[in-house]
Amino acid sequence: MILIKLAISSLYNRRASALLTLFTIAISVMLLLSIERVRVDAKSSFSNTISGTDLIVGARTGDIQLLLSSVFRIGHANNGVSWQSYQYIKQQRGVKWTIPLSLGDSHKGQAVLGTSDDYFTHYQYAKKQSLSFSQGQPFRHLNEVVLGTQVAENLGYSLGDSIVISHGMGNTSFHHHDDNPFTVVGILNATGTPVDKTLHIPLAAIEQIHATNHTEHEHEHEHEHEHEHEQPIDLIGEPKQITAFLIGFDSPLYTLQIRRNINQFKDEALLAIMPGVTLRELWEMLTIVEKILLMFSMVVVLVSLLGMLTTLLASLNQRRRELAILRSVGAKPWHLFALISIESLLTTFLGCLAGCGLFYLLMSLAAGYLQSHAGITITIAMLSGYELMLIGAIMAAGFIVGLIPATRAYFYSLSDGMSIKI
Amino acid sequence: MITLTDLVFKWQKQQSNPTLAIAALEIAKGEHVFLHGPSGCGKSTLLSLLAGINRPTSGCLSIFGCELSKLSNSKRDAFRADHIGYIFQNFNLLPYLSPIENVTLGCQFSKQRQKKALVNSMTLNQEAARLLNALGLSEQFHLQNVANLSIGQQQRVAAARAFIGSPELIIADEPTSALDTGNRQAFIKLLFEQAQAANSTLIFVSHDESLQPLFNRNIDLIALQEQLS
Repeated sequence: MILIKLAISSLYNRRASALLTLFTIAISVMLLLSIERVRVDAKSSFSNTISGTDLIVGARTGDIQLLLSSVFRIGHANNGVSWQSYQYIKQQRGVKWTIPLSLGDSHKGQAVLGTSDDYFTHYQYAKKQSLSFSQGQPFRHLNEVVLGTQVAENLGYSLGDSIVISHGMGNTSFHHHDDNPFTVVGILNATGTPVDKTLHIPLAAIEQIHATNHTEHEHEHEHEHEHEHEQPIDLIGEPKQITAFLIGFDSPLYTLQIRRNINQFKDEALLAIMPGVTLRELWEMLTIVEKILLMFSMVVVLVSLLGMLTTLLASLNQRRRELAILRSVGAKPWHLFALISIESLLTTFLGCLAGCGLFYLLMSLAAGYLQSHAGITITIAMLSGYELMLIGAIMAAGFIVGLIPATRAYFYSLSDGMSIKI
Repeated sequence: MITLTDLVFKWQKQQSNPTLAIAALEIAKGEHVFLHGPSGCGKSTLLSLLAGINRPTSGCLSIFGCELSKLSNSKRDAFRADHIGYIFQNFNLLPYLSPIENVTLGCQFSKQRQKKALVNSMTLNQEAARLLNALGLSEQFHLQNVANLSIGQQQRVAAARAFIGSPELIIADEPTSALDTGNRQAFIKLLFEQAQAANSTLIFVSHDESLQPLFNRNIDLIALQEQLS
């Protein structure tokens, strides 16, 4: 149609200012989409951290603190669960499996987790996905370690390497250097969860690290065990206490009852949380940040649309003659109204299109960084229904903003007629 | 034939003195009329009435048998698109269209004009080129940027836009005021040729009375309005 052609030629004629307008809209669309995508993916990465676990049990603290320390390796659990309590709860009716977790040690800043073999069979993340090995196998001996994919990647370890694990967080002690070399026997596949940043060693090895200071010979004793392949090696040992443990039940029906029992446990102050519920609580705490981010990007969109309004209105006065010429060749006032509306719609549309392009560019550039630094797995997929709705809303807002100059053009053309002489 | 009878126009209904008041005026088909008068005498107002932008407050205005004063706003817009070619004072081309596109613009809002334009040529672009050549703008300029044309050349393009599709009435609103004397006369001669070829009525408005001898009829708007009082 002639109006579309006129709108395109007219915009092309004013391409410098039109491009700037388009660019600001594109940036705002990119920002909005990126924030939205990161928010959604952060949420799913977050709630994907653990699944299939019915209860997490630790010493009595806050729900969220226990979740953070046991699953996210954030903060310290000051107290642990005594081995006796663990053994007792483990034997309750309905308990299908338990995974003991012992945290607090580190290797070059990465968390070290002492656990049992069950970890590799029962621990699940995302939508009930189990851990899998990209190389190697679970630990079979006390001095073997299984690495999360990022530990292997960042520190450049591969199967067969010897590494030293120190007691405590962060500092490496020379004392342990020769005492506890661990051999890398397995590397896990990427999960997008804190598992990727964890070194897994047998629970008994944790005790060993802590004990070697005092009983050097015990280590030698263990060393001898290695050669006795016919005899199963106790990878769990009998530690005094563990940081926390995960429970899976035969049926989720046991969850509430056993949780109550644990929370009222007489011998020790314990806390049992349902990870799904606590994850949600934790996320709720973060929603304010999420809302502020969303609000900021909305404001950026608004500013860019106001920018378009300014340019359109500023140019309109210079275009009164153009409107008069169109009137003289028979254009009706609503033709001119449509012309300006088409221009604003076209600018917004192209702005949104460019914004989507920039968004995909940014996401593909940032995906690696977000994965390794924030543990957020960015899905570079088609725009979701919600994202399309956002773009639709921006287009609608652009159209509505465009109605203001369009209405002015309509009334200019009525009052000026064709007598405007500039 | 254009007939004005007891025509009165006021911008506001309460206005005491009418902006324009003409007792009677007849312009025959094919006439070349020179309409003159000082600034502010109502020339632009009369043109806006003839072009159907505004509607007379009272009285009768009919153009080629069509009662313009009784048509609705959009019908008058359609009438203008179909029957009237309009040439402005100056700078009256759309800067973002080529000369050819500017000329064919005259047909874009009227099927009738389009049909009539295609009588002479196969396509609208060919007809536009034909008119531009006839008005003395050679092919090399036809697809150039409008801004690169001289004022005289621009005015030829504007004239071609008014003539395309042979409208019955050509209104030229001070089209020569930006031209020098030599160019002025040449341009008016070209206008006459085209008006004759299309058998169009030409109403030429100017306050430059030196052009008067070129026309076969001239109307002094001041004198015309005084007849009423």
